Amino acid sequence: MKKGRPFLEILASAAYEDYRFPILEIFAFLFALGQFAFSNLNVASSLRSEELMIYWLVSSAMGLPLFIFLILIFKNIAYGLGGDLEKGTIQTYLSYPLSRKKILTAKLLSAIGIAVILFFGIQTVALVVQVPALILPNIGLILLLYAANFAYVLLITSIILLFALLIKKGGVALIVGIAVYFAIGIATSIVLLFASLSGSAMFLQAVALLNPATALSAHYGYIPGNIGWNPSLTEVTYYVGANYFITAILFFIAYRYFSRRLSI
Amino acid sequence: MALINAENLTKHYGIVHAVDNLSLQVEEDSIMGLIGPNGAGKTTTIKMILGVLKPDDGLIKVFGENPWDNVNLRAKIGVVYEKAFFPPHQKTVSYLERVCRIYGVPESRAKEVLALVNLGEASDRQIKALSAGMLQKFAVAHALIHKPKLVIADEMTANLDPIARSDLLDLVLKLHEQENVTLLLSSHILPELSRVCDSVAIINRGKVWAHGKLEELYEKFSAKTVRISTDQPEKLAELVKALPYVENITADSRGISVKVSEGKEDNLYEDTPKLARKGQVKILGIESGSTSLEELYRQVIAQEGETQA
Repeated sequence: MKKGRPFLEILASAAYEDYRFPILEIFAFLFALGQFAFSNLNVASSLRSEELMIYWLVSSAMGLPLFIFLILIFKNIAYGLGGDLEKGTIQTYLSYPLSRKKILTAKLLSAIGIAVILFFGIQTVALVVQVPALILPNIGLILLLYAANFAYVLLITSIILLFALLIKKGGVALIVGIAVYFAIGIATSIVLLFASLSGSAMFLQAVALLNPATALSAHYGYIPGNIGWNPSLTEVTYYVGANYFITAILFFIAYRYFSRRLSI
Repeated sequence: MALINAENLTKHYGIVHAVDNLSLQVEEDSIMGLIGPNGAGKTTTIKMILGVLKPDDGLIKVFGENPWDNVNLRAKIGVVYEKAFFPPHQKTVSYLERVCRIYGVPESRAKEVLALVNLGEASDRQIKALSAGMLQKFAVAHALIHKPKLVIADEMTANLDPIARSDLLDLVLKLHEQENVTLLLSSHILPELSRVCDSVAIINRGKVWAHGKLEELYEKFSAKTVRISTDQPEKLAELVKALPYVENITADSRGISVKVSEGKEDNLYEDTPKLARKGQVKILGIESGSTSLEELYRQVIAQEGETQA
Protein backbone atom coordinates (compact mmCIF):
# COMPACT_ATOMS: atom_id res chain seq x y z
CA MET A 1 0.00 0.00 0.00
CA LYS A 2 1.55 3.33 -1.02
CA LYS A 3 1.46 6.38 1.24
CA GLY A 4 -1.87 8.18 1.28
CA ARG A 5 -2.37 11.92 1.26
CA PRO A 6 -5.22 12.45 3.71
CA PHE A 7 -4.50 16.12 4.43
CA LEU A 8 -4.64 17.23 0.80
CA GLU A 9 -7.71 15.12 0.08
CA ILE A 10 -9.67 16.44 3.05
CA LEU A 11 -8.66 19.98 2.11
CA ALA A 12 -9.80 19.35 -1.46
CA SER A 13 -13.06 17.79 -0.28
CA ALA A 14 -13.76 20.71 2.08
CA ALA A 15 -12.92 23.26 -0.65
CA TYR A 16 -15.25 21.47 -3.08
CA GLU A 17 -18.10 21.85 -0.60
CA ASP A 18 -17.20 25.42 0.48
CA TYR A 19 -16.78 26.93 -3.00
CA ARG A 20 -19.26 25.13 -5.20
CA PHE A 21 -20.96 28.36 -6.31
CA PRO A 22 -18.38 31.19 -6.28
CA ILE A 23 -21.04 33.89 -6.70
CA LEU A 24 -19.82 36.00 -3.79
CA GLU A 25 -16.23 35.92 -5.01
CA ILE A 26 -17.20 36.88 -8.57
CA PHE A 27 -19.36 39.72 -7.26
CA ALA A 28 -16.53 40.98 -5.06
CA PHE A 29 -14.11 40.87 -7.99
CA LEU A 30 -16.45 42.85 -10.23
CA PHE A 31 -17.13 45.33 -7.45
CA ALA A 32 -13.44 45.88 -6.77
CA LEU A 33 -12.69 46.46 -10.45
CA GLY A 34 -15.70 48.75 -10.81
CA GLN A 35 -14.67 50.82 -7.81
CA PHE A 36 -11.20 51.37 -9.23
CA ALA A 37 -12.27 51.94 -12.80
CA PHE A 38 -15.01 54.48 -12.27
CA SER A 39 -14.48 56.54 -9.20
CA ASN A 40 -11.74 56.17 -6.64
CA LEU A 41 -8.74 56.92 -8.76
CA ASN A 42 -10.14 60.37 -9.61
CA VAL A 43 -10.67 61.14 -5.93
CA ALA A 44 -7.39 59.54 -4.93
CA SER A 45 -5.34 61.44 -7.49
CA SER A 46 -6.62 64.72 -6.05
CA LEU A 47 -5.18 63.88 -2.61
CA ARG A 48 -2.13 65.72 -1.34
CA SER A 49 0.28 62.82 -0.79
CA GLU A 50 1.12 59.43 -2.22
CA GLU A 51 0.57 57.84 1.20
CA LEU A 52 -2.92 59.28 1.49
CA MET A 53 -3.67 58.19 -2.06
CA ILE A 54 -2.70 54.60 -1.25
CA TYR A 55 -4.75 54.71 1.95
CA TRP A 56 -7.77 56.00 0.07
CA LEU A 57 -7.46 53.50 -2.78
CA VAL A 58 -6.94 50.44 -0.59
CA SER A 59 -9.59 51.38 1.96
CA SER A 60 -12.30 52.29 -0.52
CA ALA A 61 -11.66 49.22 -2.67
CA MET A 62 -11.92 47.00 0.38
CA GLY A 63 -15.31 48.26 1.58
CA LEU A 64 -18.00 45.99 0.14
CA PRO A 65 -15.69 43.16 -1.00
CA LEU A 66 -14.41 42.85 2.55
CA PHE A 67 -17.98 42.53 3.80
CA ILE A 68 -18.77 39.96 1.10
CA PHE A 69 -15.71 37.89 1.98
CA LEU A 70 -16.49 38.26 5.66
CA ILE A 71 -19.91 36.69 5.03
CA LEU A 72 -18.25 33.99 2.91
CA ILE A 73 -15.73 33.15 5.65
CA PHE A 74 -18.42 33.20 8.36
CA LYS A 75 -20.56 30.90 6.22
CA ASN A 76 -17.64 28.53 5.60
CA ILE A 77 -16.76 28.33 9.28
CA ALA A 78 -20.31 28.09 10.57
CA TYR A 79 -21.66 25.66 7.97
CA GLY A 80 -18.42 24.07 6.78
CA LEU A 81 -17.25 23.25 10.29
CA GLY A 82 -20.22 23.74 12.64
CA GLY A 83 -22.55 22.10 10.12
CA ASP A 84 -20.14 19.20 9.59
CA LEU A 85 -19.96 18.70 13.37
CA GLU A 86 -23.74 18.86 13.60
CA LYS A 87 -24.39 16.42 10.75
CA GLY A 88 -21.54 14.01 11.43
CA THR A 89 -19.23 14.61 8.48
CA ILE A 90 -16.38 15.39 10.90
CA GLN A 91 -17.06 11.98 12.47
CA THR A 92 -16.45 10.48 9.02
CA TYR A 93 -13.23 12.48 8.64
CA LEU A 94 -12.15 11.20 12.05
CA SER A 95 -12.17 7.67 10.68
CA TYR A 96 -9.34 8.62 8.29
CA PRO A 97 -5.65 8.33 9.20
CA LEU A 98 -5.22 12.03 9.93
CA SER A 99 -4.79 13.72 13.30
CA ARG A 100 -7.47 16.03 14.68
CA LYS A 101 -5.16 19.04 14.35
CA LYS A 102 -4.61 18.37 10.67
CA ILE A 103 -8.31 17.83 10.05
CA LEU A 104 -9.05 21.21 11.62
CA THR A 105 -6.19 22.81 9.68
CA ALA A 106 -7.54 21.39 6.41
CA LYS A 107 -11.03 22.70 7.20
CA LEU A 108 -9.72 26.15 8.18
CA LEU A 109 -7.43 26.40 5.16
CA SER A 110 -10.45 25.75 2.99
CA ALA A 111 -12.80 28.04 4.92
CA ILE A 112 -10.39 30.95 5.52
CA GLY A 113 -7.18 30.38 3.61
CA ILE A 114 -8.69 30.07 0.15
CA ALA A 115 -11.04 33.01 0.80
CA VAL A 116 -8.11 35.17 1.96
CA ILE A 117 -6.03 34.26 -1.10
CA LEU A 118 -8.99 35.06 -3.38
CA PHE A 119 -9.69 38.33 -1.60
CA PHE A 120 -6.12 39.61 -1.65
CA GLY A 121 -5.63 38.28 -5.17
CA ILE A 122 -8.56 40.41 -6.31
CA GLN A 123 -7.37 43.44 -4.36
CA THR A 124 -3.80 43.14 -5.60
CA VAL A 125 -4.85 42.73 -9.23
CA ALA A 126 -7.06 45.82 -8.95
CA LEU A 127 -4.21 47.80 -7.37
CA VAL A 128 -1.71 46.66 -10.03
CA VAL A 129 -4.13 47.65 -12.79
CA GLN A 130 -4.70 51.13 -11.36
CA VAL A 131 -1.46 52.34 -9.77
CA PRO A 132 1.35 49.94 -10.74
CA ALA A 133 4.10 52.45 -10.06
CA LEU A 134 3.02 53.11 -6.46
CA ILE A 135 2.95 49.52 -5.23
CA LEU A 136 6.60 48.65 -4.65
CA PRO A 137 7.63 51.97 -3.05
CA ASN A 138 4.67 51.69 -0.63
CA ILE A 139 4.57 47.95 -0.08
CA GLY A 140 4.99 48.23 3.71
CA LEU A 141 2.08 50.65 3.98
CA ILE A 142 -0.10 48.51 1.68
CA LEU A 143 0.56 45.41 3.75
CA LEU A 144 -0.23 47.33 6.95
CA LEU A 145 -3.51 48.56 5.45
CA TYR A 146 -4.49 45.04 4.41
CA ALA A 147 -3.47 43.61 7.80
CA ALA A 148 -5.37 46.32 9.72
CA ASN A 149 -8.56 45.94 7.69
CA PHE A 150 -8.53 42.16 7.78
CA ALA A 151 -7.74 41.90 11.51
CA TYR A 152 -11.35 42.49 12.51
CA VAL A 153 -12.61 39.76 10.16
CA LEU A 154 -10.18 37.20 11.57
CA LEU A 155 -11.00 38.14 15.16
CA ILE A 156 -14.72 37.56 14.65
CA THR A 157 -13.94 34.42 12.64
CA SER A 158 -12.04 33.02 15.62
CA ILE A 159 -15.06 33.78 17.85
CA ILE A 160 -17.39 31.99 15.41
CA LEU A 161 -14.97 29.07 15.27
CA LEU A 162 -15.04 28.71 19.05
CA PHE A 163 -18.84 28.91 19.09
CA ALA A 164 -19.12 26.39 16.26
CA LEU A 165 -16.92 23.93 18.18
CA LEU A 166 -18.70 24.48 21.48
CA ILE A 167 -22.31 24.31 20.32
CA LYS A 168 -21.74 22.11 17.24
CA LYS A 169 -24.48 23.92 15.36
CA GLY A 170 -23.66 25.80 12.16
CA GLY A 171 -26.73 28.05 12.00
CA VAL A 172 -26.46 29.28 15.60
CA ALA A 173 -22.71 29.92 15.21
CA LEU A 174 -23.40 32.05 12.13
CA ILE A 175 -26.06 34.07 13.93
CA VAL A 176 -23.72 34.62 16.90
CA GLY A 177 -20.92 35.73 14.55
CA ILE A 178 -23.11 38.21 12.68
CA ALA A 179 -24.50 39.50 15.99
CA VAL A 180 -20.94 40.04 17.34
CA TYR A 181 -19.97 41.75 14.08
CA PHE A 182 -22.86 44.22 14.22
CA ALA A 183 -22.55 44.68 17.98
CA ILE A 184 -18.90 45.76 17.62
CA GLY A 185 -19.88 47.95 14.64
CA ILE A 186 -22.61 49.69 16.65
CA ALA A 187 -20.35 50.02 19.69
CA THR A 188 -17.68 51.58 17.46
CA SER A 189 -20.15 54.19 16.16
CA ILE A 190 -21.25 55.05 19.71
CA VAL A 191 -17.63 55.29 20.88
CA LEU A 192 -16.76 57.51 17.89
CA LEU A 193 -19.64 59.83 18.71
CA PHE A 194 -18.67 59.85 22.37
CA ALA A 195 -15.01 60.53 21.48
CA SER A 196 -15.84 63.41 19.16
CA LEU A 197 -18.17 64.97 21.74
CA SER A 198 -15.98 64.49 24.79
CA GLY A 199 -12.55 64.70 23.20
CA SER A 200 -11.51 61.56 25.08
CA ALA A 201 -9.83 58.87 23.01
CA MET A 202 -9.71 56.16 25.68
CA PHE A 203 -12.69 54.14 24.43
CA LEU A 204 -11.62 54.68 20.85
CA GLN A 205 -8.25 53.11 21.66
CA ALA A 206 -10.08 50.11 23.14
CA VAL A 207 -12.13 49.79 19.95
CA ALA A 208 -8.91 50.04 17.92
CA LEU A 209 -7.71 46.92 19.69
CA LEU A 210 -10.71 45.04 18.28
CA ASN A 211 -10.64 46.81 14.92
CA PRO A 212 -7.22 48.33 14.12
CA ALA A 213 -8.66 50.06 11.03
CA THR A 214 -10.01 52.61 13.55
CA ALA A 215 -6.42 53.48 14.51
CA LEU A 216 -5.62 53.96 10.82
CA SER A 217 -8.62 56.28 10.44
CA ALA A 218 -7.36 58.27 13.44
CA HIS A 219 -3.86 58.41 11.96
CA TYR A 220 -5.12 59.81 8.66
CA GLY A 221 -7.55 62.17 10.38
CA TYR A 222 -10.72 60.54 9.09
CA ILE A 223 -12.41 60.56 12.49
CA PRO A 224 -14.68 63.59 12.89
CA GLY A 225 -14.27 66.00 15.80
CA ASN A 226 -11.24 66.78 17.90
CA ILE A 227 -10.46 63.54 19.71
CA GLY A 228 -6.91 64.39 20.60
CA TRP A 229 -5.55 61.11 19.30
CA ASN A 230 -3.24 60.96 16.33
CA PRO A 231 -1.37 57.65 16.48
CA SER A 232 1.78 57.22 14.42
CA LEU A 233 2.01 54.35 11.93
CA THR A 234 4.24 52.54 14.43
CA GLU A 235 1.48 52.81 17.04
CA VAL A 236 -1.02 51.56 14.47
CA THR A 237 1.27 48.59 13.90
CA TYR A 238 1.14 47.86 17.65
CA TYR A 239 -2.66 47.86 17.55
CA VAL A 240 -2.61 45.53 14.56
CA GLY A 241 -0.12 43.26 16.34
CA ALA A 242 -2.17 43.23 19.55
CA ASN A 243 -5.30 42.35 17.61
CA TYR A 244 -3.60 39.47 15.80
CA PHE A 245 -2.22 38.28 19.15
CA ILE A 246 -5.76 38.10 20.61
CA THR A 247 -6.95 36.30 17.46
CA ALA A 248 -4.02 33.86 17.64
CA ILE A 249 -4.92 33.04 21.26
CA LEU A 250 -8.52 32.33 20.29
CA PHE A 251 -7.39 30.08 17.43
CA PHE A 252 -4.97 28.34 19.79
CA ILE A 253 -7.82 27.65 22.25
CA ALA A 254 -9.94 26.32 19.39
CA TYR A 255 -7.14 23.97 18.28
CA ARG A 256 -6.52 22.72 21.83
CA TYR A 257 -10.20 22.13 22.37
CA PHE A 258 -10.71 20.35 19.05
CA SER A 259 -7.65 18.13 19.36
CA ARG A 260 -7.76 17.31 23.06
CA ARG A 261 -11.27 17.59 24.38
CA LEU A 262 -13.95 17.75 21.73
CA SER A 263 -16.11 14.64 21.88
CA ILE A 264 -18.02 13.97 18.69
CA MET B 1 -5.90 -12.27 21.26
CA ALA B 2 -8.33 -9.46 22.07
CA LEU B 3 -8.37 -6.75 19.39
CA ILE B 4 -10.56 -4.58 21.59
CA ASN B 5 -10.09 -4.50 25.31
CA ALA B 6 -12.24 -2.09 27.31
CA GLU B 7 -12.01 -2.05 31.09
CA ASN B 8 -14.32 -0.24 33.48
CA LEU B 9 -15.38 2.38 30.94
CA THR B 10 -17.51 5.16 32.33
CA LYS B 11 -19.13 8.05 30.52
CA HIS B 12 -21.59 10.55 31.97
CA TYR B 13 -23.65 13.17 30.18
CA GLY B 14 -24.53 15.45 33.07
CA ILE B 15 -26.43 13.26 35.50
CA VAL B 16 -27.07 10.52 32.93
CA HIS B 17 -24.75 7.51 33.20
CA ALA B 18 -24.53 6.58 29.52
CA VAL B 19 -21.85 3.97 30.21
CA ASP B 20 -21.22 2.73 33.70
CA ASN B 21 -18.14 0.70 34.52
CA LEU B 22 -18.39 -1.31 31.32
CA SER B 23 -15.85 -3.98 30.38
CA LEU B 24 -15.70 -5.71 27.04
CA GLN B 25 -13.31 -7.80 24.95
CA VAL B 26 -13.53 -8.55 21.24
CA GLU B 27 -11.37 -11.46 20.17
CA GLU B 28 -9.52 -11.49 16.87
CA ASP B 29 -11.34 -13.24 14.02
CA SER B 30 -14.73 -13.12 15.75
CA ILE B 31 -18.04 -11.46 15.01
CA MET B 32 -19.31 -9.91 18.20
CA GLY B 33 -22.76 -8.46 18.62
CA LEU B 34 -23.37 -5.60 21.00
CA ILE B 35 -27.01 -6.01 21.95
CA GLY B 36 -29.20 -3.66 23.85
CA PRO B 37 -32.30 -1.51 23.65
CA ASN B 38 -32.22 2.08 22.41
CA GLY B 39 -30.37 4.22 24.95
CA ALA B 40 -28.50 1.24 26.43
CA GLY B 41 -25.09 2.83 25.80
CA LYS B 42 -24.08 0.99 22.62
CA THR B 43 -23.26 4.04 20.52
CA THR B 44 -21.41 5.75 23.36
CA THR B 45 -19.35 2.59 23.88
CA ILE B 46 -18.55 2.35 20.18
CA LYS B 47 -17.58 6.01 19.99
CA MET B 48 -15.18 5.54 22.90
CA ILE B 49 -13.69 2.48 21.19
CA LEU B 50 -13.25 4.53 18.02
CA GLY B 51 -11.56 7.35 19.91
CA VAL B 52 -14.04 10.08 19.00
CA LEU B 53 -15.38 10.28 22.55
CA LYS B 54 -13.23 10.43 25.65
CA PRO B 55 -14.26 8.20 28.55
CA ASP B 56 -14.59 9.85 31.95
CA ASP B 57 -12.90 6.83 33.44
CA GLY B 58 -11.57 3.43 32.42
CA LEU B 59 -9.16 2.09 29.87
CA ILE B 60 -9.52 1.18 26.19
CA LYS B 61 -7.00 -0.57 24.01
CA VAL B 62 -7.63 -1.33 20.36
CA PHE B 63 -4.90 -3.42 18.73
CA GLY B 64 -3.10 -2.73 22.02
CA GLU B 65 -3.17 1.06 21.56
CA ASN B 66 -5.13 3.98 22.98
CA PRO B 67 -7.63 4.94 20.26
CA TRP B 68 -7.90 8.70 21.04
CA ASP B 69 -6.62 10.63 17.99
CA ASN B 70 -4.59 7.57 16.99
CA VAL B 71 -3.79 7.94 13.30
CA ASN B 72 -2.12 4.53 12.87
CA LEU B 73 -5.08 2.77 14.39
CA ARG B 74 -7.56 4.41 12.07
CA ALA B 75 -5.82 2.85 9.09
CA LYS B 76 -6.68 -0.59 10.49
CA ILE B 77 -10.34 0.04 11.29
CA GLY B 78 -13.43 0.43 9.12
CA VAL B 79 -16.39 2.28 10.61
CA VAL B 80 -20.08 2.26 9.75
CA TYR B 81 -22.26 4.65 11.73
CA GLU B 82 -26.02 4.36 12.08
CA LYS B 83 -26.46 7.67 10.29
CA ALA B 84 -23.76 8.04 7.72
CA PHE B 85 -22.74 11.53 6.61
CA PHE B 86 -20.47 12.31 3.73
CA PRO B 87 -19.84 15.49 1.77
CA PRO B 88 -23.23 15.60 0.01
CA HIS B 89 -22.42 17.17 -3.35
CA GLN B 90 -19.74 14.74 -4.49
CA LYS B 91 -20.40 11.71 -6.66
CA THR B 92 -20.22 8.35 -4.95
CA VAL B 93 -17.35 6.99 -7.03
CA SER B 94 -15.44 10.30 -6.94
CA TYR B 95 -15.66 10.45 -3.18
CA LEU B 96 -14.57 6.84 -2.79
CA GLU B 97 -11.65 7.47 -5.15
CA ARG B 98 -10.71 10.36 -2.88
CA VAL B 99 -10.87 7.96 0.09
CA CYS B 100 -8.61 5.58 -1.86
CA ARG B 101 -6.07 8.39 -2.19
CA ILE B 102 -6.42 9.11 1.53
CA TYR B 103 -5.43 5.55 2.36
CA GLY B 104 -3.00 5.13 -0.52
CA VAL B 105 -4.88 2.26 -2.17
CA PRO B 106 -5.42 2.03 -5.96
CA GLU B 107 -8.40 4.09 -7.14
CA SER B 108 -9.85 1.03 -8.86
CA ARG B 109 -10.79 -0.18 -5.37
CA ALA B 110 -13.61 2.42 -5.35
CA LYS B 111 -15.54 0.62 -8.07
CA GLU B 112 -14.73 -2.75 -6.51
CA VAL B 113 -16.33 -1.87 -3.18
CA LEU B 114 -19.32 -0.22 -4.85
CA ALA B 115 -19.90 -3.43 -6.78
CA LEU B 116 -19.44 -5.45 -3.57
CA VAL B 117 -22.41 -3.67 -1.98
CA ASN B 118 -24.44 -3.68 -5.21
CA LEU B 119 -24.13 0.05 -5.77
CA GLY B 120 -22.25 -0.17 -9.06
CA GLU B 121 -25.11 1.49 -10.93
CA ALA B 122 -25.16 4.45 -8.54
CA SER B 123 -21.50 5.32 -9.06
CA ASP B 124 -22.30 8.56 -10.91
CA ARG B 125 -24.92 9.77 -8.44
CA GLN B 126 -24.29 12.54 -5.97
CA ILE B 127 -24.15 11.25 -2.39
CA LYS B 128 -27.11 13.43 -1.42
CA ALA B 129 -29.23 11.68 -4.09
CA LEU B 130 -28.86 8.24 -2.47
CA SER B 131 -31.79 6.74 -0.57
CA ALA B 132 -31.34 5.89 3.13
CA GLY B 133 -30.68 2.25 2.30
CA MET B 134 -28.26 3.08 -0.49
CA LEU B 135 -26.46 5.53 1.76
CA GLN B 136 -26.00 2.80 4.35
CA LYS B 137 -24.59 0.47 1.72
CA PHE B 138 -22.32 3.29 0.59
CA ALA B 139 -21.14 3.66 4.19
CA VAL B 140 -20.27 -0.05 4.23
CA ALA B 141 -18.37 0.31 0.94
CA HIS B 142 -16.58 3.34 2.40
CA ALA B 143 -15.58 1.32 5.48
CA LEU B 144 -14.08 -1.47 3.38
CA ILE B 145 -11.97 0.64 1.01
CA HIS B 146 -8.69 0.06 2.84
CA LYS B 147 -9.33 -3.63 3.66
CA PRO B 148 -9.46 -3.07 7.42
CA LYS B 149 -8.67 -5.83 9.92
CA LEU B 150 -11.50 -4.68 12.17
CA VAL B 151 -14.90 -3.30 11.19
CA ILE B 152 -17.06 -1.58 13.79
CA ALA B 153 -20.66 -1.00 12.79
CA ASP B 154 -23.24 0.83 14.85
CA GLU B 155 -26.82 -0.15 13.95
CA MET B 156 -25.62 -0.80 10.43
CA THR B 157 -28.93 -2.20 9.20
CA ALA B 158 -31.27 0.20 10.98
CA ASN B 159 -32.36 2.06 7.83
CA LEU B 160 -32.57 -0.89 5.50
CA ASP B 161 -35.46 -2.94 4.12
CA PRO B 162 -35.48 -6.68 4.95
CA ILE B 163 -33.86 -7.75 1.68
CA ALA B 164 -31.12 -5.16 1.93
CA ARG B 165 -30.56 -6.22 5.55
CA SER B 166 -30.21 -9.82 4.57
CA ASP B 167 -27.80 -8.91 1.74
CA LEU B 168 -25.69 -6.85 4.08
CA LEU B 169 -25.52 -9.64 6.64
CA ASP B 170 -24.45 -12.04 3.88
CA LEU B 171 -21.75 -9.55 3.03
CA VAL B 172 -20.64 -9.44 6.67
CA LEU B 173 -20.31 -13.23 6.72
CA LYS B 174 -18.44 -13.20 3.41
CA LEU B 175 -15.99 -10.61 4.69
CA HIS B 176 -15.42 -12.56 7.84
CA GLU B 177 -14.87 -15.86 6.06
CA GLN B 178 -12.87 -14.65 3.05
CA GLU B 179 -10.86 -11.77 4.46
CA ASN B 180 -10.67 -12.72 8.16
CA VAL B 181 -12.20 -9.42 9.19
CA THR B 182 -13.09 -9.12 12.87
CA LEU B 183 -16.43 -7.40 13.37
CA LEU B 184 -18.13 -5.61 16.22
CA LEU B 185 -21.77 -5.04 15.32
CA SER B 186 -24.23 -3.21 17.48
CA SER B 187 -27.93 -3.66 16.97
CA HIS B 188 -31.24 -3.91 18.73
CA ILE B 189 -32.58 -6.19 16.02
CA LEU B 190 -31.73 -9.51 17.57
CA PRO B 191 -32.62 -12.16 14.97
CA GLU B 192 -30.15 -10.72 12.48
CA LEU B 193 -27.33 -10.67 15.00
CA SER B 194 -27.97 -14.27 15.97
CA ARG B 195 -27.50 -15.13 12.30
CA VAL B 196 -23.99 -13.76 12.05
CA CYS B 197 -22.49 -13.37 15.52
CA ASP B 198 -20.46 -15.99 17.30
CA SER B 199 -20.38 -14.03 20.54
CA VAL B 200 -22.44 -11.27 22.11
CA ALA B 201 -22.35 -8.68 24.83
CA ILE B 202 -25.73 -7.76 26.24
CA ILE B 203 -25.72 -4.17 27.37
CA ASN B 204 -28.36 -2.21 29.21
CA ARG B 205 -28.24 1.02 31.17
CA GLY B 206 -24.57 1.37 30.34
CA LYS B 207 -23.50 -1.98 31.78
CA VAL B 208 -22.62 -5.32 30.20
CA TRP B 209 -24.94 -7.92 31.74
CA ALA B 210 -23.70 -10.93 29.85
CA HIS B 211 -20.74 -11.42 27.60
CA GLY B 212 -19.33 -14.44 25.80
CA LYS B 213 -19.80 -17.10 23.14
CA LEU B 214 -23.41 -17.56 22.11
CA GLU B 215 -23.54 -21.29 22.92
CA GLU B 216 -22.10 -20.69 26.38
CA LEU B 217 -24.63 -17.97 27.09
CA TYR B 218 -27.52 -20.11 25.87
CA GLU B 219 -26.38 -22.84 28.19
CA LYS B 220 -25.87 -20.54 31.13
CA PHE B 221 -29.11 -18.63 30.93
CA SER B 222 -31.56 -21.11 29.46
CA ALA B 223 -30.94 -24.24 31.55
CA LYS B 224 -33.54 -23.46 34.18
CA THR B 225 -35.98 -21.73 31.86
CA VAL B 226 -39.16 -23.11 30.39
CA ARG B 227 -40.96 -21.49 27.50
CA ILE B 228 -44.77 -21.89 27.47
CA SER B 229 -46.76 -20.75 24.45
CA THR B 230 -50.35 -19.75 25.18
CA ASP B 231 -53.27 -17.66 23.94
CA GLN B 232 -53.48 -15.74 27.27
CA PRO B 233 -49.91 -15.06 28.42
CA GLU B 234 -50.75 -12.58 31.17
CA LYS B 235 -53.42 -14.77 32.77
CA LEU B 236 -51.14 -17.80 32.67
CA ALA B 237 -48.30 -15.76 34.16
CA GLU B 238 -50.57 -14.85 37.09
CA LEU B 239 -51.47 -18.50 37.68
CA VAL B 240 -47.93 -19.84 37.40
CA LYS B 241 -46.50 -17.13 39.62
CA ALA B 242 -48.16 -18.79 42.62
CA LEU B 243 -46.00 -21.93 42.27
CA PRO B 244 -43.36 -21.94 45.05
CA TYR B 245 -40.41 -22.95 42.86
CA VAL B 246 -40.96 -20.23 40.22
CA GLU B 247 -38.22 -17.61 40.44
CA ASN B 248 -39.10 -15.30 37.58
CA ILE B 249 -41.64 -14.91 34.78
CA THR B 250 -41.54 -12.76 31.68
CA ALA B 251 -44.57 -12.53 29.39
CA ASP B 252 -44.85 -11.45 25.78
CA SER B 253 -47.60 -11.60 23.17
CA ARG B 254 -47.03 -15.27 22.39
CA GLY B 255 -46.35 -16.81 25.76
CA ILE B 256 -44.32 -16.76 28.95
CA SER B 257 -40.78 -17.69 29.93
CA VAL B 258 -40.54 -19.17 33.40
CA LYS B 259 -37.35 -19.49 35.41
CA VAL B 260 -37.55 -22.20 38.05
CA SER B 261 -35.39 -23.39 40.94
CA GLU B 262 -32.73 -26.02 40.26
CA GLY B 263 -34.28 -29.42 39.41
CA LYS B 264 -37.86 -28.18 39.36
CA GLU B 265 -38.45 -28.15 35.61
CA ASP B 266 -40.38 -31.45 35.70
CA ASN B 267 -42.67 -30.06 38.40
CA LEU B 268 -43.51 -27.14 36.15
CA TYR B 269 -44.28 -29.52 33.28
CA GLU B 270 -46.76 -31.33 35.57
CA ASP B 271 -48.31 -28.32 37.30
CA THR B 272 -48.77 -25.93 34.39
CA PRO B 273 -51.38 -27.93 32.44
CA LYS B 274 -53.42 -28.39 35.66
CA LEU B 275 -53.35 -24.66 36.39
CA ALA B 276 -54.20 -23.87 32.78
CA ARG B 277 -57.20 -26.17 32.84
CA LYS B 278 -58.42 -24.57 36.06
CA GLY B 279 -57.98 -21.07 34.68
CA GLN B 280 -59.35 -22.02 31.26
CA VAL B 281 -56.17 -21.00 29.51
CA LYS B 282 -55.10 -22.81 26.36
CA ILE B 283 -51.52 -24.15 26.32
CA LEU B 284 -50.05 -24.24 22.83
CA GLY B 285 -46.67 -25.72 23.72
CA ILE B 286 -44.04 -26.17 26.41
CA GLU B 287 -40.32 -26.39 25.75
CA SER B 288 -37.23 -26.25 27.86
CA GLY B 289 -34.45 -23.73 27.42
CA SER B 290 -34.03 -20.66 25.26
CA THR B 291 -34.09 -21.10 21.55
CA SER B 292 -33.26 -17.66 20.30
CA LEU B 293 -31.07 -14.69 20.99
CA GLU B 294 -34.23 -12.76 21.72
CA GLU B 295 -35.11 -15.23 24.48
CA LEU B 296 -31.59 -15.09 25.84
CA TYR B 297 -31.81 -11.33 25.87
CA ARG B 298 -35.08 -11.48 27.82
CA GLN B 299 -33.53 -13.79 30.38
CA VAL B 300 -30.52 -11.59 30.90
CA ILE B 301 -32.59 -8.45 31.21
CA ALA B 302 -34.94 -10.25 33.62
CA GLN B 303 -31.97 -11.29 35.73
CA GLU B 304 -30.76 -7.70 35.65
CA GLY B 305 -34.12 -6.65 37.08
CA GLU B 306 -33.76 -9.16 39.90
CA THR B 307 -30.21 -8.01 40.63
CA GLN B 308 -31.33 -4.41 40.86
CA ALA B 309 -34.28 -5.32 43.08
